[in-house]
Amino acid sequence: MTDTNAYADRYLEAVSRALPAASRAEIVAELEASLAEQVEPRIAQGESRDEAERHVVSEFGEPIAYASSLIDRPMWLVGPRYYAAWLRLLRLLLIIVPICAVGATLLGQLIARASVGEIFGGVIAVLIGVIVHVCFWTTLVFFILERTGSTGDTILDWDPDRLPKAAEIRSGRPDLIASLVFLAIVVGAMLWDLLLGFFPTGGTPIPILNPVPVTWAVLLLFVVAEAVFAIVLYLRRRWSTALAVANTVLAAAFAAASLALLISGALVNPALIDFIAEAGGEGFAQGQLASAGQGGVFGILGVILGFCLVGFPIWDVVDGWLKLHRLRSAAPRA
Amino acid sequence: MNDTEFDGHLQELRRGTIVLASLMLLRTPGYGYGLLEQLASAGFPTDANTLYPLLRRLEKQGCLESEWNTDEARPRKFYRTSDVGLRLATILTQEVAAIAAATAALTERED
Repeated sequence: MTDTNAYADRYLEAVSRALPAASRAEIVAELEASLAEQVEPRIAQGESRDEAERHVVSEFGEPIAYASSLIDRPMWLVGPRYYAAWLRLLRLLLIIVPICAVGATLLGQLIARASVGEIFGGVIAVLIGVIVHVCFWTTLVFFILERTGSTGDTILDWDPDRLPKAAEIRSGRPDLIASLVFLAIVVGAMLWDLLLGFFPTGGTPIPILNPVPVTWAVLLLFVVAEAVFAIVLYLRRRWSTALAVANTVLAAAFAAASLALLISGALVNPALIDFIAEAGGEGFAQGQLASAGQGGVFGILGVILGFCLVGFPIWDVVDGWLKLHRLRSAAPRA
Repeated sequence: MNDTEFDGHLQELRRGTIVLASLMLLRTPGYGYGLLEQLASAGFPTDANTLYPLLRRLEKQGCLESEWNTDEARPRKFYRTSDVGLRLATILTQEVAAIAAATAALTERED
């Protein structure tokens, strides 16, 4: 035992380092006795001490693993108790967080009038960073739950009501009504904007929407098209590839047309812009000057509006395909 | 036992019986190495790195009582099955018997 290079002593040291301080002395004393009583019969049978200790230590196995089994510490990052909850949360967060982060980055870069390369680089960098962070922090939380032996209920505990509803995949009357009511509100808002105005101007109303025939024609065309689509969807009862394609074409056409109107200055009433600039006075002029690099206040608002005009159709397209996909994956039973 | 493909299943099945065997054998006080040999000769071959953590756990749960024996050149920890341990052993014995009977009944039904 005087040899500090002896296998038993080195093993004892390695296990000891992996033990919590509170129970270390007690367990080390026990382990020392256990190793000794295994080694001695081997020496009595003619093995050298070195040989015997090497053999015994190899039977006890990896020091950290053995220490863990002595103190009932789990040998995993996220164990069976939390694995399902961990996976469910991670999947959810890996959808929501990257979309929000990429959207916010994209908007910021567009407002700053960054070049295409800068936007692309920035988005990729943010995307990678966000995915790494989400994976790391989510896992860390479950790692801590596992180690602290938490047994309390969490919001992640499962109950049968959480099963995805099969009814969601059918396109029923509520969907149709919701679509038509939404479109009616849009038309109502356009008329209200034209005839009564949303802003108190103290005189004749100044509409937000450019009151020229082109703008109105384009917007009304899409309102009618969306209404027809909603009715067809209701009659067909469920999403099909053809409907999802039609929905995609419609959404893309809307995004392109409204964006073209916005960029050519035909979407928003120029009279309103002049009115705001005038009413804003000195302070507004300063703001314009400060944000000149980003195309002025209206430049920024234009980017945000354009972002929404593209963002919502994209969401609409994805929603359509997702519903179709859910229908497909549930099809064998239907 | 000669079929390594099924080792995992066999290990799983045996794990619980080692607790029972240890509790029964330690009705007369014993220490780690001696118990390992007794287990092996009683038909419950056990690895050292399985037995020591198991003894520790059973002691923590109050199924075993322990005492350091310092009479010899090297101190040894002796274990003895406690009253709680005896009750656990009784329940486990009944359970093993019930499982054996149920297994036998399954085999008979097939014949």
